[in-house]
Amino acid sequence: MKKAIVYVNQFFGQVGGEEQAGIEPQLHEGQIGPAMQFQKELDADVTHTIICGDNYMGSNTEEAVDRILTMLGGKEFDIFLAGPAFQAGRYTVACGTVCKAVKEKFGVPVVTSMNSETPGVDMFKKNMYIMEGGNIASKMRQDVKAMARVANKLLNREPIGSADEEGYFPRGIRHQTWLADGKPASERMVDMLLKKLNGEPYETELPIPKRDLVPIAPAVKNLKQAKIALVTTGGIVPVENPDRIQSASATRWGRYDISQTEALKGGVYKTIHAGFDPAAADADPNVITPVDALKVLENEEVYGSLHPYFYSTVGTGTTEAEAQRMAKEMVPYFKEDHVDAVIMVST
Amino acid sequence: MKLEIGNFYVKDIVFGDQLSLRDGVLTINKEEALAYIREDERITEAELYIAKPGDKIRMCPVKEAIEPRIRPDGRSIFPGYTGDLAKAGEGVTYALKNCSVLVVGRHWGGFQDGVIDMSGEGQKYTYFGQLNNIVLVADTDEEFERNEQQKKNDALRRAGHKLAEFIGACVRDLTPEDTEVYELGGMIRRDADVEKLPSVVYVMQPQSQMEEMGYNDLVYGWDMNHVVPTVMHPNEILDGAMVSGSFMPVSSKWATYDFQNCPNIKALYKEHGKTVNFLGVIMSNLNVALEQKERSALFVAQIANSLGADGAVVAEEGYGNPDADFVGCIVALEDAGVKTVGITNECTGRDGQSQPLVTLDEKCDAIVSCGNVSQLIELPPMETVLGELQALARDGLSGGWADDEILGPSVREDGSIIMENNSMFCGDQVCGWSPKTMKEF
Repeated sequence: MKKAIVYVNQFFGQVGGEEQAGIEPQLHEGQIGPAMQFQKELDADVTHTIICGDNYMGSNTEEAVDRILTMLGGKEFDIFLAGPAFQAGRYTVACGTVCKAVKEKFGVPVVTSMNSETPGVDMFKKNMYIMEGGNIASKMRQDVKAMARVANKLLNREPIGSADEEGYFPRGIRHQTWLADGKPASERMVDMLLKKLNGEPYETELPIPKRDLVPIAPAVKNLKQAKIALVTTGGIVPVENPDRIQSASATRWGRYDISQTEALKGGVYKTIHAGFDPAAADADPNVITPVDALKVLENEEVYGSLHPYFYSTVGTGTTEAEAQRMAKEMVPYFKEDHVDAVIMVST
Repeated sequence: MKLEIGNFYVKDIVFGDQLSLRDGVLTINKEEALAYIREDERITEAELYIAKPGDKIRMCPVKEAIEPRIRPDGRSIFPGYTGDLAKAGEGVTYALKNCSVLVVGRHWGGFQDGVIDMSGEGQKYTYFGQLNNIVLVADTDEEFERNEQQKKNDALRRAGHKLAEFIGACVRDLTPEDTEVYELGGMIRRDADVEKLPSVVYVMQPQSQMEEMGYNDLVYGWDMNHVVPTVMHPNEILDGAMVSGSFMPVSSKWATYDFQNCPNIKALYKEHGKTVNFLGVIMSNLNVALEQKERSALFVAQIANSLGADGAVVAEEGYGNPDADFVGCIVALEDAGVKTVGITNECTGRDGQSQPLVTLDEKCDAIVSCGNVSQLIELPPMETVLGELQALARDGLSGGWADDEILGPSVREDGSIIMENNSMFCGDQVCGWSPKTMKEF
């Protein structure tokens, strides 16, 4: 019999509600909460249940993940399941975070389930099978069944169908497939054409992602008085990377004091961006984050003044949703210091 | 314009004394046919084979496919290419159905050549796996391109077209089993009940990327690189006005067979008078320079507007650079108020994670998708190989490779192969056959 381990939060782990959301990770033998239904549905034995409080996971992510990975260290398991997380925002992020770490460390398949309206979906759908789950816990049976169906295919090494056939969120992967009815392209073309001509709904076979274009801001009227801030997605950080910004698919950012710095020195700053050859940027970080030129222009009074921090994250693989969130977190700092304009330096 | 295609259904092919079609059995006098092929002094080596569905045959490097036909009135079936210029699309043409002439290199392949399997897992990847095929395997003295990755394949392709006409001649004096009639008069002053239907044009983007002549698709023998978009009658395409070229990664290619039978045109014909008013074809192209792409898109949109088209269908013979023409043309049509559907294949990479087309635009909101050129395909050995399988690995076929540190060579010692869909002969069938689509995983 193959083996499975299930992750749940404090509530579904039957420890308690919000007042218990701070509990540290704990490993139990056997099945607790949803793990009991998984035991019935899976072609595997659920040997352990891991429980962790959502708040603990949210505010001590790295430590929580490390401890869970350590707990799993000696265990044999063929698949790892988390949730279902329904519409509980923190729980969805916890499920995605733990699944991703377990998949990377142990190389086993992982499956979770979340509602489409949760942050975990965009953050993790490219990394794993996330079943499109219900919005309330009363959908438990149905969501567990859906997870188990895909999990059993993974356990039995059967091919997994397309996202719409299986009910998981598309992972950004497109493959060719033979239509069951063999309907040729010419007939599909006519169907689509007639519907489009007649204003009826139709489904394109190649959905084009919507582009969320931001209009370019009008020119700064009075540059002489303007306070300018510098932001980069080029991954320039102090060499010790104090904010532990990821080298790709970043979710973290940092801001670094340059009020007393005339130029970013190689060896003091470097890039942690994994999407380009770092040699030039490591030798002279100003090529991506031009503190040197901006200080010169400030002294020459070309513009008013430079905001005392530069802001940095990594652009490669980072989702638009994460990028938006990080920008929104930066904005209050700019407002507080009455910044008039931002120079956004990409790679 | 009225075209009658008289169909003769080929159920079996054999070699024998006299070229003939009797009770569905096509008999070919092999020596006579080969002597005809060898009249072109460039042909140094030639042999004929028969490949039918279910046969344990793999062909590589396949260069072209043609439906055998004859015009009883003596006009050439490829005017301006195999014979004198004459009007195509009008009158009577006879066709041997369920049957094609395939041209395979005896030794040498190139970027634009491909693979066909007649049985097993590989059979479904090409349209020609389900046809009765007369296979010409030949070599030429075209030394200048022997070791070139891009080959014009001129002698071999012409040999195939001539052979198709040579074989088609056996039905010249016979009565077809059935006749397809394609008739479409002037675009204006049609019957009131037709004119009240939404009017539609079919926009074709055949391959024309090579600046040097001899590689691109031809219209009445004229290189498609040297045209600006123009109006054509759909019957002309069904009747040999278009001849396929020798350039694109071959899963994207439209063989001459595909032009002769173009399912997209036939599907629009079928709807004509019922759900749409099929105006005709706008023949565009796929030149490389941006200005040429923009010029073609301007022409297509202008012609569609001038003809009063409500809707359009755009199909591209290629991917990568041609995606810019495809997307640009759809955007130009949509901007001109023409509701447009596109048909294409995609290049999402072996892992399926790459952007599907080189450029994207939200205005392309109705696309029929026919496959992923970079899908990895692994196939077991085949009993018989026609041509030279090693060409897939050695000669720079778009879906093959000499060696790979993880996957090994495309052609293994036991005759099994691993390749990208790119080298499946006309595999993506954007001309309208394709039973494949693309899905999110």
